[in-house]
Amino acid sequence: MNVPTLPMDDAGLVIQGLERRIGKRCLLEDLHLSVKAGECLALLGPSGCGKTTTLRMLAGLDPVSGGRILLDGNDITAQPAGQRRVAMVFQSYALYPHLNVFDNLALGLRMRGVPVAERDNRIAATLELLQLSDLQLRRPAQLSGGQRQRVALARALLRQPQLVLLDEPMSNLDAQLREELRPQLRRLLCGGRPPVIYVTHDQQEAMGMADRIAILRGGRLQQVGTARELYETPCNLFVAGFLGRPAINLLTPLASRQLALRPEHLRPVAEAGLPARVQRREWLGAQQLLWLETERGELRMLLPAQQELPESLQVGWESADELWFSSVNGERLASSERD
Amino acid sequence: MRLLLLLWSLAPLAWQLYSSLVTPDALVDPASVAAGGFWTLENYRQVLQASPPFWRYLLNSTMVGATTTTLTLILAVPCAYALQQRQGPLRRAVTLALLAAAIFPTVLLFLALLQLARSLGLGNHLLALSLPYSALCLPLAVLLLRVAFAELPGDLEDAARLEGLSLVARLRHVLLPLLAPALGSTAILVFLYSWNEYPIALTWISRPELLTLSPAIARIAGSSLFTVPYGAFAAVTVLGSLPLLLLVLLFQRSIVSGLTQGAVR
Repeated sequence: MNVPTLPMDDAGLVIQGLERRIGKRCLLEDLHLSVKAGECLALLGPSGCGKTTTLRMLAGLDPVSGGRILLDGNDITAQPAGQRRVAMVFQSYALYPHLNVFDNLALGLRMRGVPVAERDNRIAATLELLQLSDLQLRRPAQLSGGQRQRVALARALLRQPQLVLLDEPMSNLDAQLREELRPQLRRLLCGGRPPVIYVTHDQQEAMGMADRIAILRGGRLQQVGTARELYETPCNLFVAGFLGRPAINLLTPLASRQLALRPEHLRPVAEAGLPARVQRREWLGAQQLLWLETERGELRMLLPAQQELPESLQVGWESADELWFSSVNGERLASSERD
Repeated sequence: MRLLLLLWSLAPLAWQLYSSLVTPDALVDPASVAAGGFWTLENYRQVLQASPPFWRYLLNSTMVGATTTTLTLILAVPCAYALQQRQGPLRRAVTLALLAAAIFPTVLLFLALLQLARSLGLGNHLLALSLPYSALCLPLAVLLLRVAFAELPGDLEDAARLEGLSLVARLRHVLLPLLAPALGSTAILVFLYSWNEYPIALTWISRPELLTLSPAIARIAGSSLFTVPYGAFAAVTVLGSLPLLLLVLLFQRSIVSGLTQGAVR
């Protein structure tokens, strides 16, 4: 785990030993993370891993049981939600159903005492940016899912936040729309000044949206890094199995060491390979997925779709592609520990 | 079948309306019905010109109902919100206590309440009736509103909190507008209770011009020793239910519009 340090100019978010406990149950344990200004970090993990809890603590909606949150150099751990300049897009979007789009955006500004002229200008500019100008008199119920998401984004941007939090903002949209909206969302949110934290359980989305990914499991941070780092050098078996579809192959352990191989790293070889029989074949368009039965367990092999194969064959792989883990605690073994 | 049910529930009302519009003779003597000319507004004239006139009771009941409803809602909204915010065993305990209080037969209380009214000097003060009324309605109102608060998506209030809205602003601009249907139906229940309440109104108020509807109607029914004034009785019943019908029709519209407002997703 990398130890976070304060960036030189203090800008951005630093989380130090953040914890959340309810009674004896620990929802989040000793979380250390830092997100630079303009960086987008995805919190990725299965449901119940503590990612939404983390987000709510950053927003000030859930109490903090331990640790500190520093935003642009200031400790905001004890600040109430309304005083933090943190914007959040909720999974449900949480638009006020009784107000039209304009009033949804105006309510917060009005309550914070922003002068009317400035307020109207800022709302008009934001509506323009998000192509919502024609919809400003509609109620949320009269909007499509994608439009609602844009209104929720507009409300977040109007907060002029120092930190933007997104809680599964795409999970209510269909897959095609999600893919279309990803670049738009990136353009609007990431690369600006405030750091962005993006919670999702969808690894495609995390890889597409974020500069770095933090993987959580059971309230514990597993690994932080770029998508490529996590994919190529997972720190443990959980990260290795969680990232990548089709999932990584886990070979039957030998002497408390376990070998894991990505399906795309396997290929048929002429000799000196692992004997295998093809059980099943799935055609995935550009590729085909083969389910093989071998003496080291069932393996998945990803090959170009055109390649023809016999029923029984031998599979091989480069030793550079091997990932070795301890089968005792699941941690990855350094190359020196393998033998 | 549906028609039968409709007849079953509407026939008494129709009979009441009919009774109020015919001469007393027509009610008991089929011969006078056959003779015709039995339609009359005499019953209404009689109750409206009595002393004090009947509209006075209507006004009294309306005033008591309005203050009771207002007082109950003003107290019940913060109670329900606070109860909903709290997690764990205390909420359960308080909810159970409220439920017990809500189903407690209030008739058992009216003697004690009378004592209280005497010692506090609340007798013969019309609006003082609102105090026991709202106290007795409060448990049910809190329970109903708590459920309504619980059904609001929690994200909405969180979003408002993040935008810097204070508790009062959140209630005023986000939560209460969304609770309008629940507030409306709770208000109707409380108003109905206050409108129909009899034992407390009977014992706390003795001056005729301060009577509310139910003791006033009872008084009209028992006003004569030898005859039952069916016509006048029917007329006051009709007059007494008109404001309620109006109220329900009015609120029904807001309730229906509230329900069709659409969910968040």
